[in-house]
Amino acid sequence: MAARKQADVAKLIAFLEENRTRRGDVTLNDVMLLAQVMTGSMREVLGSVKPAVTEELMAIGEEISRMKGEISQLRAVDIKDNRIPEAGRELDAIVEATESATHTIMEAAETIMSADASDIDAYQATVNDKIVEIFEACAFQDITGQRISKVVNTLNYIDERVSAFMKRLRVADEDDEGDREETEAERRQRELILYGPQHAGEGVSQDQVDAMLGDDAQAEIDRLFG
Amino acid sequence: MALDLQMPVLVVDDYKTMIRIIRNLLKQLGFEDIDDAADGTEALEKMKQRKYGLVISDWNMEPMTGYELLKQVRSDAGLCKTPFIMVTAESKTENVIAAKKAGVNNYIVKPFNAQTLKGKIEAVFSD
Repeated sequence: MAARKQADVAKLIAFLEENRTRRGDVTLNDVMLLAQVMTGSMREVLGSVKPAVTEELMAIGEEISRMKGEISQLRAVDIKDNRIPEAGRELDAIVEATESATHTIMEAAETIMSADASDIDAYQATVNDKIVEIFEACAFQDITGQRISKVVNTLNYIDERVSAFMKRLRVADEDDEGDREETEAERRQRELILYGPQHAGEGVSQDQVDAMLGDDAQAEIDRLFG
Repeated sequence: MALDLQMPVLVVDDYKTMIRIIRNLLKQLGFEDIDDAADGTEALEKMKQRKYGLVISDWNMEPMTGYELLKQVRSDAGLCKTPFIMVTAESKTENVIAAKKAGVNNYIVKPFNAQTLKGKIEAVFSD
């Protein structure tokens, strides 16, 4: 028993010596490791003091081990180093593709708009060529659709892991957000009423806007809030 | 106030494609003198240098939004009479109410079509 106790203490000393040169750069993993070493080294002492306390500490140790397992299952490094950057690249490619297609379509439309219609044959040839260009440019939708699916898959992957992690750790959102300080972005959004596009069925339609700006505006506003 | 197709129109949007779309629609409607700005700050500078007959502005822009531009325009004695149409994807009730309170002449929800733009411009100048 004495030898085991000595080994536990030696393990604790080794751990502290190994980490003493680190200045404040302590991870959650380090804290859990230290807790494990300490509960291990104190097992003998606490066991002789009160079995209930020992059991509690052992349970804490087991919980910490379980948490480590859960954290590794999150695959946080993979998410941060691979999945999120890849999703970002896909979104950048979508923006580029839609911009390029829009540019091509608008160029074609502008060419048709400014074409000289006095020479019917030449005009018809121009219109036909530009219509083909417009059809070709519309192919971007197929590619961007596939890219968006990849981004959605990444979001689902992250969602599944974070949800499972929270469930296993029994983590709940804090109900009281009263003390949380409003961020600069949130303040700007609130003060300047920046909510962006609304989904179908949400927000107000052009007809409702027209009614709100018309003579019976107040009645329409009252109805919307009714 | 009569609709004059020769009057200079200022289109304010941070999305170049949307400026191009509105510019082309305005050309189709017969307007010839069309200028643009990428946000409220640039628009306000241009408005102080030149008298525009109509401003067509997006809402969500950095650093100065269309809503802030509208309030600045309405509080400036030299600019306050300029007709102002908001063309935006911001379509919450409070957006429309805020714009109305700030003095917008008309409000178009994106996406919109040429007929809506034409109708709203005509409505502004028939009031």
